[in-house]
Amino acid sequence: MKRTVFLLLMVLVFLTLQTTLLTVAPIQRVRPDLLFILTVYFGFSTSTVSGGLLAFFMGYLLDLFSGNVFGLYALTRPLIFFTTRLFKREFYWEGFSFQLLFVFIVAMLEGLLLFVLLVGLSPGPLRNLFPAMLTTLLPQSLCTALITPPLFFLLRKGAHFLRVKHRRTIRGEG
Amino acid sequence: MRIRSPSLFRRYPIPAFIILLLLAGLILISLRIKERKGVAFFDALLMEIYSPFQKGATSVSRSIGGVLQRVVSLTQVQQENEKLKHRIAELQNENHQMKEMALANERLRNLLQFRQQMVTSMMGAEVIGQDPSPWFKSVTIDKGEKQGLRKGMAVISPEGVVGQILKTSPDYATVLLITDYNSAIDAIVQRTRAKGIVEGKEENRCQLKYLLRTEDVEPGDVVITSGMDGKFPKGLMVGEIQKVDKRHFGVFQYAELVPKVDLARLEEVFVITEFSIPTPLPQEDKGIKARKPTGGSPKKR
Repeated sequence: MKRTVFLLLMVLVFLTLQTTLLTVAPIQRVRPDLLFILTVYFGFSTSTVSGGLLAFFMGYLLDLFSGNVFGLYALTRPLIFFTTRLFKREFYWEGFSFQLLFVFIVAMLEGLLLFVLLVGLSPGPLRNLFPAMLTTLLPQSLCTALITPPLFFLLRKGAHFLRVKHRRTIRGEG
Repeated sequence: MRIRSPSLFRRYPIPAFIILLLLAGLILISLRIKERKGVAFFDALLMEIYSPFQKGATSVSRSIGGVLQRVVSLTQVQQENEKLKHRIAELQNENHQMKEMALANERLRNLLQFRQQMVTSMMGAEVIGQDPSPWFKSVTIDKGEKQGLRKGMAVISPEGVVGQILKTSPDYATVLLITDYNSAIDAIVQRTRAKGIVEGKEENRCQLKYLLRTEDVEPGDVVITSGMDGKFPKGLMVGEIQKVDKRHFGVFQYAELVPKVDLARLEEVFVITEFSIPTPLPQEDKGIKARKPTGGSPKKR
């Protein structure tokens, strides 16, 4: 329970960073998607139920604070989470190169899925959106992928620190 | 017929959970498309809980950024001061001429009994957060339903049009920027009065669509709101045309425009909560019916 609350707080901190501090970056639109990285991290490190619910909640929050009228992230983020879980046992996910490549590919796939859904659900043609595939999706996915290994490292260190602290507390009580 | 779902759920809990969660996502999309009130209530509730964090983080980042900026800018201040003194002199002269023109304009308006749409009530708001997604363009502001804000109201800044309100909660609101793909504003080219629709394009750009090929439009032309959509008062600055694409076929030409407002660096905005629309002149009554605005509350002058 404590762990889930901690993860929930982390989601809120990451969303706050993404909507405030990271927007100061020189290239406004291209900034790492921290919640995306967190979704993938949860896919590798949490249980299916709690991680799935957290991914859904993250998607819901993203929909809420973006100009997205359809609420697509509440669908795509759990999908990413379950996709990540599929690959969890197949690959050595602690390797930097795998993290980088995996996040880049999945971010591109999510972008394509969002694009298809947007085009499919919008009442009018969205020709304006086509150039965004190259000008936004590609650099955005690359940026997110590049920041993944250091962020994964920090998240793992943080989780390890919490585990050690928890064990010490139990021993102290015993 | 026996219902088997409970046993299936017990036998395959994880696949059933995955299917349920993805179904929930799909149902949510469907509810949002239909604009159901339950979702709006839950949205508003979450927005109310979370937005204070966003507001706090924005003020912290702004104060840090402000201190850094002040340090950097001190070195440039002296040079800029000299330039500004010259500029003030020029502007004072220009201002004097403008005042003369405004007086002349007023006289002519009175002569022609010309009546214009006018903003009668505005609400200032602070931008507390940007869109977390690269696909959509919106900002969160620190005013909401309690302050009289409603979905569809026009949002402007001193430089021009910013966008319109997309979602509201009691104390916060999300503004869809004019550069978003979903945004559409009725506009006219100031010089030639050519009509078109301003839609969002990639990055900080917009596109002027449904502009007749026969219309005279050039790069550098200013685009203003037409007031025809009933959301924005007439005559608000939208942007400047940068490129015109006159294709070899079709009825329309397309123009790319740069918004006058720097949407990437928005800090404060104004929401038009009320504006007046002109009552039709006696001779207009016969043919044209006045449109009712759907954004801010209209007032007839």
